[in-house]
Amino acid sequence: MLKQKEISNIKAIRTRHMLTFFQYLFAIVFTLIIVFPFYWMIITSLKTSEELLRPVPTLWPLKFQWNNYVDVFKMAPLGQYILNTIIMTIGVMTLQIIIGSFAAYGFSKGKFPGRDILFIVVLGALMVPIQVTFVPIYVMIAKLKWINTFAGLIVPNAVSAYTIFMLRQTFKSVDDAFIEAAQLEGLGRIDIIFRILIPLCKPTMLTVTIITFIDSWNAYFWPKIATTTPLRRTIALGVYELKRSYAGLETMNQNQIMAGAVITIVPIIILFILLQKYILTGFSKVASK
Amino acid sequence: MTTEKKINYRRREKLKDFLCVLPAVIFFALFVYYPILKLFQISFTNWNLISDTYKYVGLKNFKWLFQGSGFASLINSLTITFRYTFWEIVITIAGGLLLAALFNRESKVFSALRSIVFMPRYIAISASAIVFMWILNDQYGILNYVLGVIGLKPIMFNTEENALTAVLILTCWRVIGYGMMIYLSAMKGISPEYYEAAKLDGANSFQRFRFITLPLLSPTTLFLFVTTFIASMKVFQSIDVMTSGGPYGATEVIVYWIYELAFVDFRVDRAAAVTLVFFVILMGFTAATMKFTERNIYYES
Repeated sequence: MLKQKEISNIKAIRTRHMLTFFQYLFAIVFTLIIVFPFYWMIITSLKTSEELLRPVPTLWPLKFQWNNYVDVFKMAPLGQYILNTIIMTIGVMTLQIIIGSFAAYGFSKGKFPGRDILFIVVLGALMVPIQVTFVPIYVMIAKLKWINTFAGLIVPNAVSAYTIFMLRQTFKSVDDAFIEAAQLEGLGRIDIIFRILIPLCKPTMLTVTIITFIDSWNAYFWPKIATTTPLRRTIALGVYELKRSYAGLETMNQNQIMAGAVITIVPIIILFILLQKYILTGFSKVASK
Repeated sequence: MTTEKKINYRRREKLKDFLCVLPAVIFFALFVYYPILKLFQISFTNWNLISDTYKYVGLKNFKWLFQGSGFASLINSLTITFRYTFWEIVITIAGGLLLAALFNRESKVFSALRSIVFMPRYIAISASAIVFMWILNDQYGILNYVLGVIGLKPIMFNTEENALTAVLILTCWRVIGYGMMIYLSAMKGISPEYYEAAKLDGANSFQRFRFITLPLLSPTTLFLFVTTFIASMKVFQSIDVMTSGGPYGATEVIVYWIYELAFVDFRVDRAAAVTLVFFVILMGFTAATMKFTERNIYYES
């Protein structure tokens, strides 16, 4: 009797170990599949052109050609693209956070007639993507002579309904007593927002800032509409233009194209690895809505 | 303080609060609501982006779209867009749920693996599309090489039948980890008491998943369905980089078509008419899901 029970116990433990083993195995194999494109991008960027054209692809470069990373800058003004992207990203981030914080304050702690209706007006904007409004916005920007300018890139993205919504939710959770105490101290709204609310809501502020940064860095659709020359092109757009500039000779220049792609994605990968904690928390907040 | 002063003070405070939201409200009026009105206006003209003048032509653009030569293109691009959307939703929900079940383990290794699977969502689509095109290359792509090694025929992705599949492979890589993360964070929220009670009743692990986890995840599934639908209807970047709508319009999704009408053919008038149809579809969908949600979804109270 007892022995049988022991045997069935051992069996149960064994199946559990087997299951764990397979869970690890499948999870690791799947992760490797997801990683492969990153790996392939980097490996391809270091190969020589002859190696790219081999009938049997090599999993590791026969000869490392680091020069691809130098040559690619001769093919396209990647430095200019990166500078444009940095300036646009900083502009969009700053404006979204400042205007968004003021609006979030007004919609959470402010008291004025029509507040809730105006908030619905703001939320309504969430349902109207740029893919619907881009033609009229292009017309406006063109009239202002803002095509190929930073103003044209930044201003149409200066406010985000998503940012306002997220910040309003966190500002709401701050106790009114803090605000009242600050008002008694004679602090104005700017001080209340920047010295009380924002420091108290640091995690959400960070999350929103990081997400805005990533979105802006990767921006493609609007920069494609708002720029017509390399002058103000952003990097996500530029890397595709780089590929097109090899018209017909893409295959043998895949190494340089991949070098451009690596340069495009490395800042975001570093950011993701360092700050994923904040990306993930913001993310579960959205999911639980 | 006299009463009059108090009233003045309060009024000023209200005004200041209002001024805080004013920049944002003006922004949305200018860059969201005004453009929608402008779309209606443009769609009733014969405006060509290169000329400065235009005439009002009534419903001409809508006649072109629904009765004229535009109709076939509209049906074509809506069919492709919905096909793409259908598959993106299936990948996000079914793939996400499967992965959530696979990756649901508390350990440092698993948490690192989850981050990696989730990361593609934050990588520029254009850069990812470029590497996928190289992987899927007819002649030199590693996928076709591997298929050849295991004795399968190579797949030509630049054909009418397969071009959308190529785009969907990239989409799968980008979104499957997102579905997984959303499901995992929802699964964490399910109270362990349910599982303990079910265990006492003799439910096996499949039954527990089927009768506890799945029903309690229904709000999450709805969330994913709605957000993925709206996001995937807007697909543009991967199409632009990988196929440019081709070959022969086989991947001409609706936003790409609008883009071409406006900036390749310079027919902003027609582009505006198509955009309005697109907008109506998005709004109709949102309204329908809101109505549906009120009745059919089980929420844990």
